[in-house]
Amino acid sequence: MALNMARRKKTGDDDDIPMAPMIDCVFLLLIFFMVSAVMKVPPPFTVTLPDSATQHEFTRKKFNLFINSDGRISIDDQEMLTLEDMELFIAAHENQISTLIIKADKRAKHGVVIDVVERAKMRSSKTEGLEIAFAVSEED
Amino acid sequence: MSQQLGDAKLSLLANRMRERKPPTLSMAPMIDCVFLLLIFFMVSTTFSPIPGLRVQLPPPGKPSPDKPKGLTVRIANPEAGEEQGTMVLNDVVVQVEEMFNQFINAPDESKNMLIIQSERDVLHEQIVQVMDIAKQAGIDKIGFAIVARD
Repeated sequence: MALNMARRKKTGDDDDIPMAPMIDCVFLLLIFFMVSAVMKVPPPFTVTLPDSATQHEFTRKKFNLFINSDGRISIDDQEMLTLEDMELFIAAHENQISTLIIKADKRAKHGVVIDVVERAKMRSSKTEGLEIAFAVSEED
Repeated sequence: MSQQLGDAKLSLLANRMRERKPPTLSMAPMIDCVFLLLIFFMVSTTFSPIPGLRVQLPPPGKPSPDKPKGLTVRIANPEAGEEQGTMVLNDVVVQVEEMFNQFINAPDESKNMLIIQSERDVLHEQIVQVMDIAKQAGIDKIGFAIVARD
């Protein structure tokens, strides 16, 4: 018995858990998450989205447009000081934006929202125009 | 003599070479790093979709001069101290509560589209509320009236 234990201890190196398949799996998972990761970028101001009973679902992508209650505009964390800046930004990243999701604060003025929508639409060279959506609150 | 000495030296060298183990990469620190990265990406990835309301807009270009067919809601700027502006649906003042029935009872040919004509100071919340009611009533196309720029 004691002999057996000693022998097992001596040959312990050989019955280690095989690491290679685990590392393969971990690498695979890592690459999957790295490729599919879309970071949540907070805007430089707080935005409270309006509520809505009906809602459509849009995939989370980069380049969300935020409008706060004072009419400040930002795309992700980059604040747009003028509508012209915003127009140029959208034009520069046009092929990366399929649906422009506008996250406007519920107390934002409709005039500002419409200015943004119109500018974004005019800038788009696509014949069918840019698809635009208003984001609503995630709570039911 | 010198030949023998040389042979001995050679065999010693060969022995030493045979004894040298092949170099091994230490895996543990790499696995630690990879696990760390994996956990970071797993935690920071968000798969939840963004809920929203689709806005249907006509293709860019000149706005059509024809009178659009469909329902038209006009929303006035809210009075001082009030949250909501007065809403007018086809020349009749409507309240939010009765709007759903108005949309449902509208003639079928005008039900394909809703045009929102809103003043600039109306809050976005009210617009989304009207869009929500319209979608509930089965009107999918919602457009916004704008003033043509020169």
